[in-house]
Amino acid sequence: MHRFLRLTILLAGMFVATGSHAAGQPFTGTEDQLGPEVPQPIEFPHNRHAGKGEVIDSGAQDPTQKYVGMEINCMYCHTYARRSMVSGIPPLRKCIGCHQSIESVREAPRIKKLFEYWEGTDGKDAQKPVPWLKVHDLPDFVRFNHERHIQRFYFQQGKVTQDEAGGNDGIREVCSYCHGDIAAKNATVARRQKPITMGWCANCHQKDHAVDATGTETARGPNDCFTCHK
Amino acid sequence: MSVSNLLENWSKYRHTHPLDDGGHADWNAYPSPIKWAMSIDLDACTGCNACSVACYAENNLPVVGKDKYAHGQAMHWMRIERYWGEPEKAIDEFDSAMNFQLVAQNFDVDQGAQFLPMLCQQCEAAPCETVCPVGATNHTEDGLNSQIYNRCIGSRYCSANCPYKVRYFNWYSYPDQEHAWPEPLNQQLNPDLTVRTKGVMEKCTFCKQRTYTARNDAKTEGREIRDEDVQTACQQACPTGAISFGNLFNPESTVAKQWSAQQVDLVKEKQDKDGTPDNKLRGYRILEELRPFPSIMYLERVRESAV
Repeated sequence: MHRFLRLTILLAGMFVATGSHAAGQPFTGTEDQLGPEVPQPIEFPHNRHAGKGEVIDSGAQDPTQKYVGMEINCMYCHTYARRSMVSGIPPLRKCIGCHQSIESVREAPRIKKLFEYWEGTDGKDAQKPVPWLKVHDLPDFVRFNHERHIQRFYFQQGKVTQDEAGGNDGIREVCSYCHGDIAAKNATVARRQKPITMGWCANCHQKDHAVDATGTETARGPNDCFTCHK
Repeated sequence: MSVSNLLENWSKYRHTHPLDDGGHADWNAYPSPIKWAMSIDLDACTGCNACSVACYAENNLPVVGKDKYAHGQAMHWMRIERYWGEPEKAIDEFDSAMNFQLVAQNFDVDQGAQFLPMLCQQCEAAPCETVCPVGATNHTEDGLNSQIYNRCIGSRYCSANCPYKVRYFNWYSYPDQEHAWPEPLNQQLNPDLTVRTKGVMEKCTFCKQRTYTARNDAKTEGREIRDEDVQTACQQACPTGAISFGNLFNPESTVAKQWSAQQVDLVKEKQDKDGTPDNKLRGYRILEELRPFPSIMYLERVRESAV
């Protein structure tokens, strides 16, 4: 009886394994890989800030008039990305720094909420940081360095001067390798855009990338365990 | 390291001799111009254990307590070995007398104990690497003997094969089961490396988190690693400056100068100086004759009687 049961379980297991293997797609990003939907305190629109977005007036010279997005450089808010392991979440002060002089959206619900954090309620809890939740949360045993990637793909490859109109195409492209296209319409802060898994990282590390803007020399990312696993 | 890469570049990860496949001896062919190495001056070492304490603090090592220490389960990546007197003399006495009391009397106590800081020797042809069934320990491009905790399945084969016995196994889950860091001590844990879980092997990494940062900074600034860029925790804590650490391939580094002054060569299993009588050189590597090609050079203690 036991033997029969065991055989049945084995066969069932094999069937399931074969089925899942056939269904397995190369990193298309299933719901599971993209992580859970995170309820952020404020639904922050990345596309409005850093993206180009849709064209409003194609004839306009001023990019702020031309597109929905403001094309702010990612590193204006995520300051540490070029010089540290982490990119950093901007302090509330930085949000207010701009938004106190942007009267046009002052009454928008999200901005109102932002100012609630700044002004506090009944004179209490003023300037309290927005309790953002972590979306791109790597496990503790992984060492990821923003600085290395930004230096390599943004500065060394000369993407700084890519857009002569003063836009941020270069940095947006580099950030999008891992964070997805933040100019996309649904680019809020609730969920990852890419599966940040080891196989997904290794996929890119095993490819040749140009070393600088003009040369033909290429190099690969480090490929030994110890570089990322700590 | 993917499986395909592991299979294709098998020889790169499995050294038998550092010279066989380029390796660190041929650093023009090798992608990395870095080989981390150390030298420890036993004449300066006072056996104060500051290095060991610093290592505990830096590398999230649990203090296991008296009972587990007695069972040989201490997690000291950096330990001070203590030797009394002249070993040959003591052994002779022991053989003839079989009387431990007598031996103890004859120990050369006037000279005091001799101390030997023992840590992972980061061998170029490491015996531990070849025996790991899952490839959890392998050689990195900067000449370290890496230990990947996620990959380790705890077979402890590496520890059995290590001639220096510097690999330590997590018999317990120290953070939760053993409460090695009760509140608020968990706040002191170093975030730059993990707290290891039960059932994995661990060992000295030459303060990987520090060398990593130094390499990263040097790369951003577009320069070579300098000697002052990186210090290991033990080196930093040593009150007598007995430990020096750096890039062996940089001829300007302290370590490289010390190695060459003592005529110790990384890729030789028997140094030239060993054959010559009356040599005044003090540099040696422990168990060199086993051919693991260790990266730590010790400088012999100068005995009063020898001077």
